[in-house]
Amino acid sequence: MSNVTNTASRSGALRFALTMILALVVSVSLTQISSAAHTPPVNGIVVGVETDDAGALIRFAVADSSGTIHTFTIFNGTEYGLENQAGDRWVSMQEEDPSEAARRLRDHRERFAPITVTSENGTAFSVVEREEGKLETNLGYLFAVFAITWALFFVYVLYLGRKQRVLQHEIARLEGLSGK
Amino acid sequence: MNKILDLLDPLLILSATFMGVALYLIFIWVPTETNQGAVQRILYFHVPVAWGSMLGIFVVSGSSFMYLLKKNEKWDRLAVASAEVGLIFGGIMLLSGMIWARPVWAVWWTGEAKLTTALILFFIYVAYLMFRAYFPPGAQRQRLAAIIGVIGAIDTPIIYFAANLWSQAHPPLITGPAADSDSALGSDLGTVLLISTLAFSFVFIFMVQARYKIRKSEDDVVELKRSSSASAMTGVN
Repeated sequence: MSNVTNTASRSGALRFALTMILALVVSVSLTQISSAAHTPPVNGIVVGVETDDAGALIRFAVADSSGTIHTFTIFNGTEYGLENQAGDRWVSMQEEDPSEAARRLRDHRERFAPITVTSENGTAFSVVEREEGKLETNLGYLFAVFAITWALFFVYVLYLGRKQRVLQHEIARLEGLSGK
Repeated sequence: MNKILDLLDPLLILSATFMGVALYLIFIWVPTETNQGAVQRILYFHVPVAWGSMLGIFVVSGSSFMYLLKKNEKWDRLAVASAEVGLIFGGIMLLSGMIWARPVWAVWWTGEAKLTTALILFFIYVAYLMFRAYFPPGAQRQRLAAIIGVIGAIDTPIIYFAANLWSQAHPPLITGPAADSDSALGSDLGTVLLISTLAFSFVFIFMVQARYKIRKSEDDVVELKRSSSASAMTGVN
């Protein structure tokens, strides 16, 4: 009876493992198909701008929140929707004003103003102000701040408590010596 | 000697209550900001501790000034206590700012005006405490430390106005008299920031009070040692 139960549970576990492997393979394949069909937009800050002798934008680089650098080339149809510090939006295409595009991206680089780039095979189709919450949730960063804040507070209070005990002991000893 | 960690201390109860409410508001109640996502919640820690660090140098400066004026030890104690707690708040301000900057700016640090002046404030605290630790004890140490404390406060308005004066990477001011109305927080976010600032302010006052009591005990020990050695000398004579 026990052998039968063991065999049944083993075969159940095997079936479960096979199902999981199959699900994993299917999901990975689907992800690859999906990413091949559509490159997700890149959100980040401008870290490099390259221009030709006439000052026209040729390439630019964006660092995303994980620190990965993405380099994009430009073509005549690249669209822009970028704001200056005052919030005035400049909407144009590469062929209309290529040097203004370079100037705007340099301004974004200096201000660390984030942008969103849609692209295909490294060619930028649109470069716009980041308008939606595209940043990953980044809960790890929030947790780090929370943990550091409270760790430092607790360590300091513990340090004060320890110092207090030492002083109490010292005061009692000195008062004993002076016969108070 | 009073216990510094008395659980029935009204200030501790007030701090804990406000902090509990603030944490609930920060992590559960307030909506996630659409532009930055979850990391924006770091603001509710960063701004209050930055306020605490600036409050600290103001207290150091004010009490140092009062010490120079009145020569009363209690002002010197208050300055030391405030400097130590201000250093902790300043450290958290720098760390939380760096951690926020990493996902939003993709760098940990940049040499822009507000960050640099905030770092200078941190170094002013370090210099003040190091001076007190290494200079020989006595009235001269207290006088010179008081002068450092008074001068140190000059950095505070520069930090506050830096984002508006130089308009670099740091987000513009969102609180205080110079805040730009366009960049001010909405009512929900503003309420959470206000409660959180109050909570951290109570924590600041609680810590300064605790450190002040310990400083007082340290002075008592010195006084007791002095009187016991004096009575020993009298006994010998």
